[in-house]
Amino acid sequence: MTWSLNEIETLSRKAARGAGLSWGLAEEAGKAARWLSAAGLPGPQVLAELLIRNDGADYETLCPLEHSEGHWIATGGTLCPLISGATLCDSAARLASGDDLHLGRTACPVLLLPYLAAAVGMTGTRLTVTWNDVSITLDAETHIGPHDPEALNAAVVDSVHIARAETGELTAPLTPGNRGEMPPETARQLTAFARRTYAPATSESRLSGAGAGLTDND
Amino acid sequence: MEQTQSKTIPPRAPNVVMTLARLGSFHQSRLSFMRILLRRMEAEQWTFERPVFDIDAQGMGRAVYTAHGPERSYSLVAFANDLPPEKRSDRVIATEWDATFTLFDGIPTPADLDRLQDNVPQQEAGRVTESELSISRANRSVRLWDYVVGKLAAGEQPDRTTVEKVGYLMRTTAVYGSGKFGAADREDTAERPEFQAPFQIEMLSVYLTRAFVMDLVEHMARMRAPDTAVPLDPDLRRRFGIGNSTGLGMAPFLLTHPALLNNWIAAREEALARIRSLPAAHMSEVDIFRNFALRARLHMQDWYSEHPVQIARIDALRADTARLLAHLDTAELSADHPWNRLWLWAEDALSLEGQELLASLLMEPYPHLVDGLSACMAADEAATWRIDGAMSTDRLRTLTRDIYRWALDTDWTAPEAQARVWYTSEEKLEPRLGDRHTDPVEPYEQPLCPGRDAARMYGDLTATGETTVAGFLMRHPEHRHIVRRAQIAARLPYAEIRDNTIAATVLPIDMLRMKLAFFGACHFDPRSDRWVRINMYQHAPFPHELGARSGDDWAYPFLTGAAS
Repeated sequence: MTWSLNEIETLSRKAARGAGLSWGLAEEAGKAARWLSAAGLPGPQVLAELLIRNDGADYETLCPLEHSEGHWIATGGTLCPLISGATLCDSAARLASGDDLHLGRTACPVLLLPYLAAAVGMTGTRLTVTWNDVSITLDAETHIGPHDPEALNAAVVDSVHIARAETGELTAPLTPGNRGEMPPETARQLTAFARRTYAPATSESRLSGAGAGLTDND
Repeated sequence: MEQTQSKTIPPRAPNVVMTLARLGSFHQSRLSFMRILLRRMEAEQWTFERPVFDIDAQGMGRAVYTAHGPERSYSLVAFANDLPPEKRSDRVIATEWDATFTLFDGIPTPADLDRLQDNVPQQEAGRVTESELSISRANRSVRLWDYVVGKLAAGEQPDRTTVEKVGYLMRTTAVYGSGKFGAADREDTAERPEFQAPFQIEMLSVYLTRAFVMDLVEHMARMRAPDTAVPLDPDLRRRFGIGNSTGLGMAPFLLTHPALLNNWIAAREEALARIRSLPAAHMSEVDIFRNFALRARLHMQDWYSEHPVQIARIDALRADTARLLAHLDTAELSADHPWNRLWLWAEDALSLEGQELLASLLMEPYPHLVDGLSACMAADEAATWRIDGAMSTDRLRTLTRDIYRWALDTDWTAPEAQARVWYTSEEKLEPRLGDRHTDPVEPYEQPLCPGRDAARMYGDLTATGETTVAGFLMRHPEHRHIVRRAQIAARLPYAEIRDNTIAATVLPIDMLRMKLAFFGACHFDPRSDRWVRINMYQHAPFPHELGARSGDDWAYPFLTGAAS
């Protein structure tokens, strides 16, 4: 069974909100999971892993702090890629101007890619992001260099470097698809987070919340 | 006609247009999605067939209706059910329906039909694939259904007034598109010319559903009394539309698709502005307009509602159409920007419903100025969705004051200002509207109250020392949602509803009405402040009549009694 990308985005957005992110950040998390799924990467799985990891953590401990020029760290020790990704995207002009950014310890860095792709889309400037032995160049397409697959979907890395891309040969780009895969366990995890956004039904709310109690046999 | 543009009337300001009361007064027009679809199918000479119609005497079985366009074919797959009355509910909490449907991308094989039979009748509880473009269901209008089957079985035609009091034999209670329950995403088909305009998949599905329902009622009469049954008279048959019952599920869509909302309204306002800017009108154009005004009056006479708010509005509309027709008797409409003069007269003389009806009527004589705008009504939300973090907080302050002035002037501490909460119920995962002060739902509030959120954001924005939006949002992630909306509305002036969507006085049906009017619906009949019944495709030619009859000229009743 495959999932429509809209389903993946919607479930991921609700899950991110259920896990405590603000609505704006959750909206972007939904787009991120969708983007990764379309690229053939395990977006929902990585998102579920991250949400479980950060469940209950304070925003203040996860958000980036520029402790020295171009170096971001989290006061809690590990940056959240959904918050850092959104901030990177907000800093698209800075990245395009040629400033390098170094992120300290970061969870699930693959989740940064959709945000950086959006920054590239806004500025037209090609970016390269690297962690461990993984190097990914983003222009209108996504070029992933030779790497260990486990490193690509790493749970935590010590540092991430983002810079304007050097000119040079690129690997073949990913081919975006129009459906997504999601293991049942991931769907269960995300659904459990999403459920936190739903108000428990009461018989009164069932009637009044949706309006009316008129007969439909007319 | 040669046009000399001596003055250009700008489109109406968003602060005028984007109030709930005005949006809730919209009517169908040349830019409605049903009319866009039928114009295209007529122009491209689409053909239709019914390769499967396998329904038993109890009304159980399946049918397939295939529409062939120039490049691709689409099939409505219908499953008919024999539903006990106690299970009949229009609302989303229902689990069984009189009929269920999917629009299949192409022509289904028997194996496809078997797969769909296992899933489509279950609706939300089933699962479809990227071969399916929509999922929908419908319930009978029981009284009219039984009456029509009885009449036809006895060899008689049903009474016209009885038919028109209801206007349809079945009403759809949900039409799900774009990726729902595993169906194909909108993005997969948006590049196809036939689906470029919004909601064409859903409109095609509903158009074929109407044909199925009419075939089914005649079939049931034949099964009951094979010797005496007759089919419906073709003119009377066209008086049946397809109903729809729509609840709160539709309302958030307008807030979650700001670019799309903008493009719908912008196309309509551009059409109105173009027509108001015409320096002169040809006599034939004035005649067409007058003719449509007469037909609109007929339409108002056939519009029934039991809801006190709508009854008052229909009464006002009837008075408006009388006033308009009287004015037309004496008004000089050939020169000196005649339509602008008429518009300015209407702003004082007519109710909001009447003014917005006039906007629709003014488009009728000018297909060459209006119809092309339908190509501008789709939207790529992604193009304006990302936040511009480099924007200065000064600039954001200015934008917020401009777009959300009404909200900054609202006292949000007053209980009535935020009396309502939009939330999602665990039971059906559908939007609901609760009472902030009595229901325990506030922790589950959905971001569907941009005015209140903008006022909160502005409060922090005036206090911040940050100079860029990026810096501001780093400290205030809770404002990320509304900052995005403000930046979108700065570029797309009609993207935001400029009204209080959580006030004690909010009528969610205003939001439903606006969207349904763009679909091309009419006969709005609110059943409460939060759900509404409508009629679609009434008077439209059936698929087998398209080409012999106009695909566009059907949205108002015909003057000659029997449709011509």
